[in-house]
Amino acid sequence: MTSTSVSEPLFGRPRLALPSRASVTYLAAGGAAIGIYFLLLLLPSGAGDAQDVWYCVIGASSVTAIFVAARRMEHARLAWNLFGIAISTSVIADGISGFYEMHLDKEPPVPSLTDGFYLVSYPFIFYGIYLLLRDFGPVRSRAAILDALIVAVAAGTVQWIFLVDPYLHTGDKVATRATEIAYPTFDLLMFVALAQIVLSFGGRVVSYELLVLSALLWVIGDEFFYLSVDNYHAGGWVDFFWLASYVGWGAAALDPSAGRETVRDRREVPRLTNARLALLGGALLTVPAVILVEHFWHGHTVHPKSVAIGAAVLSILVVVRFAGLVRAVEGARAAERSANARLRELDRLKDEFVSTVSHELRTPLTSISGYVELARELAVPEARGYLEIVERNADRLLSLVNDLLFVARIQSGGVELDKGDVDATTLVAECVTSARPHAAANNVSLQFKGGGSGTAVYGDMRRLGQVFDNLISNAIKFSPEGGEVDITVSSQNGLVCVRVEDRGIGISAAERSRLFERFFRSADALDRQIPGTGLGLYISKAIVEAHGGEITATSTEGEGSSFVVELPVRS
Amino acid sequence: MNDAPLVLCADDDPDILALLTLRLERAGYKVAQATDGEKALELARELKPAAIVLDVMMPRLTGTEVLAALRADEATKDIRVILISARAQDVDVERGLAAGADAYLAKPFQAPELTELVARMVSGG
Repeated sequence: MTSTSVSEPLFGRPRLALPSRASVTYLAAGGAAIGIYFLLLLLPSGAGDAQDVWYCVIGASSVTAIFVAARRMEHARLAWNLFGIAISTSVIADGISGFYEMHLDKEPPVPSLTDGFYLVSYPFIFYGIYLLLRDFGPVRSRAAILDALIVAVAAGTVQWIFLVDPYLHTGDKVATRATEIAYPTFDLLMFVALAQIVLSFGGRVVSYELLVLSALLWVIGDEFFYLSVDNYHAGGWVDFFWLASYVGWGAAALDPSAGRETVRDRREVPRLTNARLALLGGALLTVPAVILVEHFWHGHTVHPKSVAIGAAVLSILVVVRFAGLVRAVEGARAAERSANARLRELDRLKDEFVSTVSHELRTPLTSISGYVELARELAVPEARGYLEIVERNADRLLSLVNDLLFVARIQSGGVELDKGDVDATTLVAECVTSARPHAAANNVSLQFKGGGSGTAVYGDMRRLGQVFDNLISNAIKFSPEGGEVDITVSSQNGLVCVRVEDRGIGISAAERSRLFERFFRSADALDRQIPGTGLGLYISKAIVEAHGGEITATSTEGEGSSFVVELPVRS
Repeated sequence: MNDAPLVLCADDDPDILALLTLRLERAGYKVAQATDGEKALELARELKPAAIVLDVMMPRLTGTEVLAALRADEATKDIRVILISARAQDVDVERGLAAGADAYLAKPFQAPELTELVARMVSGG
C-alpha cells in the first residue's frame, strides 16, 4: 500500500477518481466471462449445463475477490466480509438451482432451499451497508433524512403496486406467497439503502460507486425477473444483470478506496449533486408514471388507494423539504444582513478611529506650532532661523496628517465635496500667485495663461485648489534651476482643461503607469531626495474623479512632463 | 487696560489654553480661562465676556453642548462664539456653524488667524 499509494495533488481539484488497476483488470476479466456465458448458447447441445457451471464460476470468482480484498482492508473489513458471505449464499443458491436444472430438468419449487439461500443473503448485505453508513457518522441533516424518505416512499409505492400486491392474491399456499413477497420487499429495502449511500458520502469514492451500481444491477435483475417470471429461463438476458452484479461487487472490493475512511456530506442542507437531483426527480415522477402504466396496461388505475396514499405522503414530504429549503435560504439572508450591519458598524468605527487619531495628532501639533511661532517672534536672530526649521517641519507633519486622513476617507468610500460655482481661471490664478514664493526660491518661473470666460465648473473650491496647488508644486520641484512652468486654463467640447507643464527630466513610461498609485514615488524623486509622501497625485486623482473629471500625465523623458486636469464645464 | 474687552478661553489642554491666553493678552484682551465645559458655561454666565474661544472636545460638557446652552439662555445668547477644534473636517465645521457658532477655527492655527477672528467678533463684525 505504502509504495503503490496514489499521490494526491497538493493544489487544485482532486483528480477524477478511476478504479484501480486490480479493479479494472477484474472488471475486464468478468466482462469477458459474461460474454463467454452468452456465447455458450451457441453450443449445439448441453449448453444449459455448461452455462449453469460457468454461472457459478463467475459468482465464485466474485466471492474470492471480495474475501481476498477484505483481508487487506484497514477499514470496513467486517462490512466487506459480510458482503462476501452474502454473495456466497447467493452463489450457493445459484448452484442448487443449477443442480435442479441439470439433473431434474426443472426449476426449483417455491419455497425451496434455493430461496432460503437467496433470501439469507439480504440480511448480510443490509448489515454490511448499515456498517458502512454508520462509519460515515450519524445523519443530522433533516434535509438528508427527508430526501431518503422521499426516495423510499416513491420506490415503496411502485414496489407495492407492481410486485407485492399482485402476489398477495394469487391463491397459492401461504409459504409460496410469503416467499414471493419477500424478494421484492428485500429489494425495496436494498434500493433504499443504496439511495442512503449515494446521498451520504461527500466525495467520490470509486468503491462505493461500484458497490451501488452492482447492487442496483442485482435489484434490476430481480425486478425484471418478477415481471417476466413465467417466461424466465436460465441463460436468458436477465442473467446479465445478476452476473454483472457479481463482477461489479468483486471489482468494488478490489478498489483500494473500499478499505479507506470516507467522508460524509455533513452540510445542514446537502449539496444538490446530480445524483441527488436524479433520485429526487425520479421519485416524484413515480406516481404519474404508475398511473400512466396502469392506464395503458389495464385501461384504468388498478390501485387508486395505493397511488393516492403514495402521492399524499410524497406531497407532504416534498412540502416539508421545500419549507426547510426556503427557511434555510431566509436564514442565510438574515445572516447576510446582520453581517452587512456588522460591516457598516466596522466602517463607522474605522471612520471614528481615523477622526480620533487625526485629533490626537493635531492637538500636540497645535502646541508645537503655536509655541514655536511665539518663540520665533521673541528669539534672537540666530535662533530664529532654527525655529523656522522647526516650524516648517511641523507644517510638513501637519500636511502629512491631513493627507493620510484624506486617503483614509477616500478608502472608506467617500470624498465629501462642498460644491459651488468655481471659476477655474480665477482659482488657478490664485494657486499660481500663492506658489510664486516657492517658485522664486527654486529659481523657477511660472507662466500663467487664463482661459477667459467659459471656464466655470461646479465643484469644491478648496479641494480643486488642493489639486492645482499639488500639480504646480510638483512641477516646481521637478524643474531644473532656471526652468519654466507653463500653466494654462482653456475650455473646449464641454470640458475645462487645466494644463501644468514643466521642462524637467520627465517620467519614464513604466513609472507613468504607476504615477497615481498610493505612496508611489519615482526613482528620480527618491534619487534626488525631493521631499514628498507619494500621496499628492493619488489624492488629486480621487478629487478630480469625484468631480466627474479626469487627470492624465504625458511625458517625454529629458524634455518634461505635462499634467492635464479635465473637468465638465458648468452648464 | 481696564476697558479691554474680556475674552473667555476654554480648552482642556493646558498648553493650548496657555497659548490662547498669551496670544490674546498680547493682542490687548483680558482673558478668563476654563478647562472644561461646565466651568466655561459657569464663567460665561457670570462674566458675560465679549467673545468666547471654545474648544469642541472637552470633558463634562463638550463645546457644542456649551454653545447650545448659551444660545438657549436669554442672558448669554448674543455672546460671540468661536469654536476651535483639531477635528477640522468639512462636516465638523458645518456642524459647528449649524450649532450656532459665529466662527470656526481649525487647530493648529496661526496667531494672526486667531487674533483677527477675535477682533472681528469683539467689534461685532
